[in-house]
Amino acid sequence: MKLLRRMFRMHRIFVVQELKRMTEYKSDFIIGIIGFLLAQLTNLLFIWIIFSQIPSLLGWSISQIVFIYGFSLIPKGIDHLLFDNLWSIGYFIVRKGDFDKYLTRPINTLFHIMVEKFQLDALGELIMGVALICVTLPIVGIEWSIAKILLALAVIPFATLIYVGIKTATAAIAFWTKRSGNIIYMFYMVNDFAKYPATIYNNFVKNIITYIIPFAFTAFYPAKYILTGENPLFNIGMTVIMSVILMFIGVVIWNKGINAYESAGS
Amino acid sequence: MIYVENLRKEFKKTVKEPGLKGSIKSLFYPKSEKVVAVKDISFEVPEGEVLGFIGPNGAGKSTVIKMLTGILTPTSGVCTINGRNPRENRKSYVKEIGVVFGQRTQLWWDLPLRETYGVLKEIYEVPEDKYKKRMAFLNEVLDLESFITSPVRTLSLGQRMRADIAASLIHSPKVLFLDEPTIGLDVVVKDNIRNAIEYINKEEKTTVVLTTHDLADIELLAKRIVMIDKGSNVFDGSISELKNRYGQIRELHFDTDTKNAEKILSYGQHFNFEPEDLSVECEGSQMKVRFNSSVVPVSEMLSYTLGKISVNDISVKDADIEEIIRRLYKQGVE
Repeated sequence: MKLLRRMFRMHRIFVVQELKRMTEYKSDFIIGIIGFLLAQLTNLLFIWIIFSQIPSLLGWSISQIVFIYGFSLIPKGIDHLLFDNLWSIGYFIVRKGDFDKYLTRPINTLFHIMVEKFQLDALGELIMGVALICVTLPIVGIEWSIAKILLALAVIPFATLIYVGIKTATAAIAFWTKRSGNIIYMFYMVNDFAKYPATIYNNFVKNIITYIIPFAFTAFYPAKYILTGENPLFNIGMTVIMSVILMFIGVVIWNKGINAYESAGS
Repeated sequence: MIYVENLRKEFKKTVKEPGLKGSIKSLFYPKSEKVVAVKDISFEVPEGEVLGFIGPNGAGKSTVIKMLTGILTPTSGVCTINGRNPRENRKSYVKEIGVVFGQRTQLWWDLPLRETYGVLKEIYEVPEDKYKKRMAFLNEVLDLESFITSPVRTLSLGQRMRADIAASLIHSPKVLFLDEPTIGLDVVVKDNIRNAIEYINKEEKTTVVLTTHDLADIELLAKRIVMIDKGSNVFDGSISELKNRYGQIRELHFDTDTKNAEKILSYGQHFNFEPEDLSVECEGSQMKVRFNSSVVPVSEMLSYTLGKISVNDISVKDADIEEIIRRLYKQGVE
């Protein structure tokens, strides 16, 4: 409990530092926001073009598909907002030997890396996700119950953890290879499949995004439960199990990686 | 306090043939070889001592420091501080140490310096009242006041180094590791930093391990030297021991009118010096003779020289530590 409180405190401190850092470079910050709004606008256009062509897909109505798409942006956005710094591990922190300083501090290295950055760009995904959900929610005709609302909210952190676990495991490969940015990217991009109903893919792709790189659990399966109320044991339960397994694998690889870390000459 | 025994670190290094072709080839047929960066290092540092840890570039100093600070995992061997092993409980281990790598900074680059200390206070869980006292103390020793509100990226190297040393001391560590803390600094800043290190060592009994290429740092601060080369200990002892053991080098300066004095004298042939025991430099009327006084005593050198050439002025110099170390770095130790 004390540890958890300390973690939250550290997290808050780092977020505040990041916000100060952003305001340190005002023009960059403002242009960043403009760029981000433009990116979201084109995104919206893109979704509209795709979905205006397909009225329904293998039994999923357009509004349901948009709901799934919107839901997928929530864990993705949270991961992007809070845990984006793992990319830097893969691209340069390890390669340049900058990981040294994290090892000399009395705080968990993975935690330190994760909370050090705060990526405001992610608000785009989050706002978009919430907006799409809000727009489609009245149309898709969900039967609500208290249990469902609780499960729908509770599944979001676990869905986020799937992202974090996959990124941690792939980023930690850099401790051996010095650079793993492209490996993270390769795995991370699989999440593009997860924005749409997994049933539209052939079995090969479906099995990969369900059991191997289980991004389907970040969006389709939980959203399916919310939409239809079907099989919560699999749709929600497996999300929780998958996320815990992935995070566990990620932490194990990370801890092994630290022992293999070679720093850089100075 | 610090205990290091038979420390060894091996790295795997991929061997590539030159050029793009070689790089592509190694992509498919990777060849790697084992590089032993630290072969076998042992030493101890008692509490409150300042240890000068020296050696030529690539000797393995930084690798040893990185193992001692918990950054690298030793391939074999033991290193402990107060009986604690960095591999067993890294977090409680690093609370007791402070680290400064002169070539890197641990300060938050984009933020005013003060913010870094605020974050470090939280990371090291320093209570508010202790933190205030500590900052006042560090400010007094390292004189941070004038730039504590400036963003770190705008600091000069000397300010940044002082700021980094302060950052490593926020949590009052028992051991301070300084890896080249005076690199690239001007004489005045070097003096400030040396004084600060000396003061902190005296005042707080902080054990200091210092690596540097500036031997003045060592002479002024360290009572003891551990010298390593090619990953092994070559010397462990006080500066006076170093001088006694390797310091038979003397330097004679002659001011002479005789032309071709060097040829006339031919010390090498006359006294049968080994090449490493003798060096002669001539510049105008000045002649500098550096030789090993255990082979030929100074008096004999002098009387021989005075008998052969006409000399206006003579001076005899003791070997300084720099000269000794230059010889050791060049030749290794027999």
